[in-house]
Amino acid sequence: MEEEDQRKVTDLVIELVRRLLSQQNPQSPNPNSPHFSQSLRYALRILSSRLTPSVSPDADAIAESIKRRLATQGNSSDALTFADLYTKFASKNGPGSVNNKWAVLYLLKIISEDRKTARKGMDSSILLPNLRLNDDEIGNHVRVLNVKEDREKGWQNGVLLVSKDPENLREISFREFGNLVKEENEVTEEVLVRDVLYACQGIDGKYVKLDSNLDGYALSDLVKVPRATRIIVRKLCELGWLFRKVKGYISESMDCFPAEDVGTVGQAFCAALQDELSEYYKLLAVLEAQSTNPIPLVSGNASSGNYLSLRRLSVWFAEPMVKMRLMAVLVDKCKVLRGGAMAGAIHLHAQHGDPLVHDFMRRLLRRVCSPLFEMVRSWVLEGELEDIFAEFFIVGQPVKAESLWREGYRMHAGMLPSFISQSLAQRILRTGKSINFLRVCCDDRGWADAATEAAAAAGTTTRRGSLGYGETGALESLVMEAAKRIDKHLLDVIYKRYKFKEHCLAIKRYLLLGQGDFVQYLMDIVGPELSEPANAISSFKLAGLLESAIRSSNAQYDDPDILDRLRVKMMPHGTGDRGWDVFSLEYDARVPLDTVFTESVMTRYLRIFNFLWKLRRVEHALIGAWKTMKPNCITSHAFTKLQRTVKLQLLSTLRRCQVLWDEMNHFVTNLQYYIMFEVLEVSWSNFSNEMEVAKDLDDLLAAHEKYLHSIVEKSLLGERSQTLYKSLFVLFDLILQFRSHADRLYEGIHELQARTVESSLNSRDKTKSRRQTKDKSSEPGSWISEGRKALTQRASEFLQNMGQDLDALATEYKSLLEGFLAQLPVQQHIDLKFLLFRLDFTEFYTRQHPTL
Amino acid sequence: MDPEAARTARESLDLAFHMSNILDTGLDRHTLSVLIALCDLGLNPEALAAVVKELQSEPPPSPPLPTSSSQIP
Repeated sequence: MEEEDQRKVTDLVIELVRRLLSQQNPQSPNPNSPHFSQSLRYALRILSSRLTPSVSPDADAIAESIKRRLATQGNSSDALTFADLYTKFASKNGPGSVNNKWAVLYLLKIISEDRKTARKGMDSSILLPNLRLNDDEIGNHVRVLNVKEDREKGWQNGVLLVSKDPENLREISFREFGNLVKEENEVTEEVLVRDVLYACQGIDGKYVKLDSNLDGYALSDLVKVPRATRIIVRKLCELGWLFRKVKGYISESMDCFPAEDVGTVGQAFCAALQDELSEYYKLLAVLEAQSTNPIPLVSGNASSGNYLSLRRLSVWFAEPMVKMRLMAVLVDKCKVLRGGAMAGAIHLHAQHGDPLVHDFMRRLLRRVCSPLFEMVRSWVLEGELEDIFAEFFIVGQPVKAESLWREGYRMHAGMLPSFISQSLAQRILRTGKSINFLRVCCDDRGWADAATEAAAAAGTTTRRGSLGYGETGALESLVMEAAKRIDKHLLDVIYKRYKFKEHCLAIKRYLLLGQGDFVQYLMDIVGPELSEPANAISSFKLAGLLESAIRSSNAQYDDPDILDRLRVKMMPHGTGDRGWDVFSLEYDARVPLDTVFTESVMTRYLRIFNFLWKLRRVEHALIGAWKTMKPNCITSHAFTKLQRTVKLQLLSTLRRCQVLWDEMNHFVTNLQYYIMFEVLEVSWSNFSNEMEVAKDLDDLLAAHEKYLHSIVEKSLLGERSQTLYKSLFVLFDLILQFRSHADRLYEGIHELQARTVESSLNSRDKTKSRRQTKDKSSEPGSWISEGRKALTQRASEFLQNMGQDLDALATEYKSLLEGFLAQLPVQQHIDLKFLLFRLDFTEFYTRQHPTL
Repeated sequence: MDPEAARTARESLDLAFHMSNILDTGLDRHTLSVLIALCDLGLNPEALAAVVKELQSEPPPSPPLPTSSSQIP
């Protein structure tokens, strides 16, 4: 084959020479002319002198350089066409195609360059002498020297500078470099690479060991390597250090697990980390396999080192380094955290712009938060709190049924992860609480339907594992739907099944004395009983009296369930107390309404009841006094026979009594009106409105609080109205005193009258029937002389005493009332100006005392 | 040669000819085909290019050439 090839070559060369010469010479050349054979010999000589190409046989590179040259010359269209052609040319494979494509391209390139330089006007005679100087024997070295010379001379030698630089310079320098490298390195790069790969799995290699001083993997100083290698090895081993840290954390957690120190969230975190580490192991396995393979080179005759060098390793390690660093940071952060706090801390790290980090954290967080989301889901849809390791942000406490709503569950802010907002957490708490409340206190099972409806509405199901991190929007919508439905259900149950509104109204009518006729009857019946000392009263008797009062008023038409709950209560009393001080009514609100009507709430109602009861009692007393004070003929007719002074005394006393009564009545009536209407009714209507719009039990509780609070404040029972309250009670006592005085006065007058009638009866029997006009009136008969003086004296004495007492009462009353009225405008916190207006609408008091 | 190979060869030659026209090498089709054949046989393209250049630009330096070539053994 060689022979044949040689012959072919020769033939082809002959042909080539012929054609080239014929290009020059239009006549067909004579193959046997000496010119021809000369040229042929010359051509053969050139051909044999250069056997190895100086440029690497890369067709693509050559095509690229041609294209670039064309483009820089401004022929961009040509460049594009050339590129097109080249792709087609290069794609031709198989028999009949060109095998040495790069050679063809190279050839074309050189020829075109040569032509260009030739056209630029360089005299080829200049070129030829160089060629001439070359002899076969001198060979390549001489050419190199000549090239150098030419460069010094400043000629650009087109033929010889086709290659980028003369081959040999490059080869020589490569060889020298290789020798240098071998001297410096004691250890070959392969071994170092393998050691680094071991270090990245936490194992000490032959040269790379864990250095406790530096706290990392490093080459020991005894090994002689260039400094650059040392540094790069140290950098690559950072990965090993990070790996050790992460692995340490995982194994620690695994050990602690039986001791229940690590919660479900921590376990999920470890599981996620282990997944990432298994990816990392895969990468390391691939790299290890690669580290023993040599690179396949195109030409096949160049020898290269192993595929994996330290630099290639650093490129491969770039991405795992980022991930491992992230994991190590998280591990550090989460060493002491648990549960929701851990999830929150990891979430903070996920706020990162780099998409690699972002995706990584997202995957991690999805796994870490799944136990948390599961807990939320079961809490919100079923009211179940499955939290063995105390990782959830809602904690439950075992309490009695009545405080289940207020204290049964509370939020643990430390465990609240940062991607769940406060308001969402509140809603979650309330929803679960409502379910538990319904289940425990109301014995209701209807909430299960509401829960499935809610889940369907939110697009998830009630199965496990349907929510994940990153779906906070879905969680929110689920919670809102559930909250909406369950709150509505709860309120329905409370209103319809337990008749909350009716009970509130009943409390208002009975405890707050709204049912006027009932109160009146009660007071009438119970009044005489209550004047006894407290320990002499039996509550059974009072209960019976209460029953009769109910039956005789409109209250009997009320719901028997409500009437059942109304009871008499005797408060704990000391020895000096009268019945009036210890009597009170009580309303028994059972589960679940005692969530609203707790002990403290009922105590407040009791206080208000006491106050209202006292007020009613005073009113009752005054009305009783009015009954005795009705003007009757006794006052005008009875004592005409008396001495004038006595009569005048009598008249004035009576008059003073009347005036005082009037004042007191005015005060009490207005106070009563203020309390009943402007305080109680207004607060009640506000409360009713709020009950209409309440969306859940918390709203209802708040509305009820507000209602009670406003009543307490406005009826002067609050903290800030203490002085006012005290002076009011002193006034009440005074009024009761007055009542007893008035009673005594009229009793005295009646007695006197009876005596007078007696004394005049004997003398005036006949005239009695004629003068009889009113039932109580009695004619003033003529006085019997003896009894008259004594009677008059006694009468005057008596009247004088009474008069003085009344005066004293009057002055005291006046001063107290003024004191009370003076304090009214000073109270800033409530609208007492209505009261003041009514009490003083004629400005009687302000005119008397300009200071008011 | 089978027709397939012949076609491939012809197309390759066409493409190479087109390329050489773009590069303005001044080679005609036949010469190019010879050169391609020589390259395929493993000759150094640099040497071939040198030959082409020398022989293409022969006429001007032809007077001195005979004297030099006569020295060549």
